[in-house]
Amino acid sequence: MTREHCFLIEFSDVGLRYGNGPEILKDLTFSIEPGSFHFLTGPSGAGKTSLLRLLLLSNKPSRGKVTMFGEDVGNLDQDRLLQMRRHIGIVFQEFRLLDHLTTFENVALPLRVLGQPESEYRPNVIELLEWVGLGERMHALPTLLSGGEKQRAAIARAVIARPKVLLADEPTGNVDPDLSSRLVHLFAELNRTLGTTIILATHELPLLDRFPYPRMVLNKGELTIHD
Amino acid sequence: MIRQLLALLPRRGGAAPIVPERSVAGRTLLLLVTIMAFLSAVTLGGVVLVQKSAIAWSADVGRELTIQIRPAEGEVMESNLRTAVSLAQSTPGVASARALSIEESQALLEPWLGAGLDLSAIAIPRLVVVQLADPAEADVAQLQRNLGAINGASLDTHAAWRQQLNTMAGTVVLSGLLVLGLIGVATVLAIIFATRGAMATNREIVDVLHFIGASNKFIAGEFQGRFLSIGLQGGFLGALFAILFFLLIGMAAGSVLPSEATAQVGVLFGQFLLGWDGMAFILAVVPVIAVLTAITSRMTVRRYLSEAS
Repeated sequence: MTREHCFLIEFSDVGLRYGNGPEILKDLTFSIEPGSFHFLTGPSGAGKTSLLRLLLLSNKPSRGKVTMFGEDVGNLDQDRLLQMRRHIGIVFQEFRLLDHLTTFENVALPLRVLGQPESEYRPNVIELLEWVGLGERMHALPTLLSGGEKQRAAIARAVIARPKVLLADEPTGNVDPDLSSRLVHLFAELNRTLGTTIILATHELPLLDRFPYPRMVLNKGELTIHD
Repeated sequence: MIRQLLALLPRRGGAAPIVPERSVAGRTLLLLVTIMAFLSAVTLGGVVLVQKSAIAWSADVGRELTIQIRPAEGEVMESNLRTAVSLAQSTPGVASARALSIEESQALLEPWLGAGLDLSAIAIPRLVVVQLADPAEADVAQLQRNLGAINGASLDTHAAWRQQLNTMAGTVVLSGLLVLGLIGVATVLAIIFATRGAMATNREIVDVLHFIGASNKFIAGEFQGRFLSIGLQGGFLGALFAILFFLLIGMAAGSVLPSEATAQVGVLFGQFLLGWDGMAFILAVVPVIAVLTAITSRMTVRRYLSEAS
């Protein structure tokens, strides 16, 4: 196995700018091992969302090299990028559930996209919903769910297709501190039981102190990692 | 009632549609497609009516010839009439020939000269009506040549009248087809705008599908299914309204106009009855509109998605 394959994600001197604007991310060099858990933190406007968009393969770097799952993402065509994106789950602060679908249908969406028949994915979705504590709420529409329930549904949707990497952009931003802690415990449990690599962006410093995971700190587009 | 009718249309079974069925853009598009389908079906129905009437006119007029015998000095009209009838009957392709009686001839002149006028003292031209068994087989040229032996006889094949009718009908049919084409273009443009509006309304769904790894093809397929359903529903409603329109017009023409006028209008414009073939043409609008909606929206969605990504 080559050195590159030891890491799930590798950034090498990566910079990002939008159009002719200033560089939002500067000289990012880091690597993420499979099965690891990292917090991504920093003040508002530090570039957390931009870094997550790079990791989600929504943007390409302006310079430098990004390697994911052993492949240089700069050389990939749209089809391959799409295949790689299916190995990445994403959870948003604002949940982004589809309001006209039930909790079950929202969670099953990634499997539907992959073309699996409902008879095949139904038991797995129900099992996961029960695991995140939404077994009783699977037929409810998102508008009837609480903030915590919505975020657990969003997390379940992000992991149902067993992604290698789970990105979470301020997933605790819309819930109270107690629930925030429980949600991060849920991410930790996913990391431990499924081995999913997790990068969780948050600016809630008290939350970080409660968990022993390394922190990627972005400040004015520059990254430092604290183990 | 419309909802009950729409409920009869085929729907996709299984999981709930990813693109919601009830959205403002969807309802607007349904109304638009219904109107366009109605206009297309009415135009097509009109074209079918005119076409059918023109064929009927042409066939009726083409099956009849008229021999006119003008009074000539030294000629005995009754003898000339008999000769003309005999010549006509001996011509290949002629089914029957009959000289109009003096009373029938006078009746023909009544609209111009008025009733109650004694025409027995006036020598008026006389007519022989010739019915052809088969216009294609009839040897009209031979009849024309033979009639040369009768002084004052001439043959009217109604060719000029028929040609004028055919030209008029052809112009109406072509105009109808042109209008149909323009309605098609307007439908495509309207669907493009409505689709882009629907895509903008459902932007959140597109984004979420992209984030969870859906391909543009998958997303376009989801929207296409929705638009195909709208196209089917709109096409069905438009065709239904068009059939009702023709039924109502047919009934109105029969009840508003006096019976003589109805008969004349019927001769000139047909009976406003589409018949089964006309109905079939109108119903053919349903799949055409549905496919047009589905293809147009699919191409618009694919373009929108490639622009978005």
